[in-house]
Amino acid sequence: MKDLTLTQSFAMIALNAQNSKYLTTVKKIALRCMAASVILETLLDSNSGTSWTAVDLRKAALPDSAAYSRSILEPLNKKINSARALSLKRYLKAAYSLSGRRLKKLEMSVADSLREQDLLQEIPNLLGCDLYFDSSGVPYMEYRSNIPEYEAITETIKAEVLDNGPVTDEAICMLWLLRESGSFSDFFSLNDLETAAARMNELYLHSPLAKALYPVRIHHSAELAAKQFLHWKKSVFKKPFAAGINFIYPVFERSQSVFIDTEAWFSNADKRLEDVETRLRKYGHEFTVLHAGSVPIIKIDNLVYKAVPQAIYGRVPIHGVRLIPRIPF
Amino acid sequence: MSRQRTMDAILASEYVSIGELARITGCRYSTLKFYTEEAMLLFEQAEQNLTRRYRREETVERIQRIKQLKESGLNIPQIKEALQSCAKQDGKQT
Repeated sequence: MKDLTLTQSFAMIALNAQNSKYLTTVKKIALRCMAASVILETLLDSNSGTSWTAVDLRKAALPDSAAYSRSILEPLNKKINSARALSLKRYLKAAYSLSGRRLKKLEMSVADSLREQDLLQEIPNLLGCDLYFDSSGVPYMEYRSNIPEYEAITETIKAEVLDNGPVTDEAICMLWLLRESGSFSDFFSLNDLETAAARMNELYLHSPLAKALYPVRIHHSAELAAKQFLHWKKSVFKKPFAAGINFIYPVFERSQSVFIDTEAWFSNADKRLEDVETRLRKYGHEFTVLHAGSVPIIKIDNLVYKAVPQAIYGRVPIHGVRLIPRIPF
Repeated sequence: MSRQRTMDAILASEYVSIGELARITGCRYSTLKFYTEEAMLLFEQAEQNLTRRYRREETVERIQRIKQLKESGLNIPQIKEALQSCAKQDGKQT
């Protein structure tokens, strides 16, 4: 495992599986929290973070500091334009409300710093292969974090929070960032959530950093509600009954029901599979056939799908296959 | 409260916490906790509710041994037996 900064560690979690080209609502939440993590990282690294009630970041944006730090601290200091130290909440709120252009700049600089270490890559999203997904020729790409590094980060935080003993400042900040980005319930299992919440209360009582940080709430409720709704919708349509409905009406959750058209009508199983393979390879996906047959089981980029033949009847009938994620029974 | 230790500092220290062990071995926290509860990993603890400290070199070697035994097809009780017999042999030699 490599030594990563707080912002880089959080970015590994926050950017994973996010659309790399467009600023979606979910990615906006992640980027805003990344901007807040730059503030926390700077305060942890500088001496000004010792008091935590009144903090000063006016001299923090140094020419030798990381590009992503400068991309946030310089506009932030201009925006706040204060001659004295301010509360931590004021800085975090200001960082959270930076413009989309600033957030995009932050994303590029953090992603570049992770790409240099081979910890982040851009991979094509399967939805880009869908016949009805219109992107005007722009490839639909998403971020994928390096899996061993991602697991090392998440497991270290879990171990610190769920086990007895002291919790580092990075883990305290990470808990707050996870809460504000609405990822807390994804990160901890249902059994662990209660322990994590109790641990946060305990930290609030004993740690000056947690005492200053945990009462600060910077999230936008409407954005978080949208994120939770999309997450809930995706998890619902992964269940067998809802997956069946989604097969007939893919408009509910298109990512879980991708349609790939075949060249000819009434083509046989081998020809269908060949067409699917051609399309997936064209879009840069890894493709392995696990089980051939009339409904083949195929592995695409480490996920297993059933390729179910289907015909769509519009003005002209279109024959093809629908890729349904295989639910392990 | 303290800052997170760098990898160099962790790799130079004699004792590590369970979080640091997860970081250097790539094992899941829940797996390490299970191994600890099953007495497959040895730790030191000054008092109750204090951090469990693991001897870095010994514990990392033991985790690698457990992984090898798992890959060779042994189940958990068999791995425990294998580890205990190894420990007995080491005890006799010393």
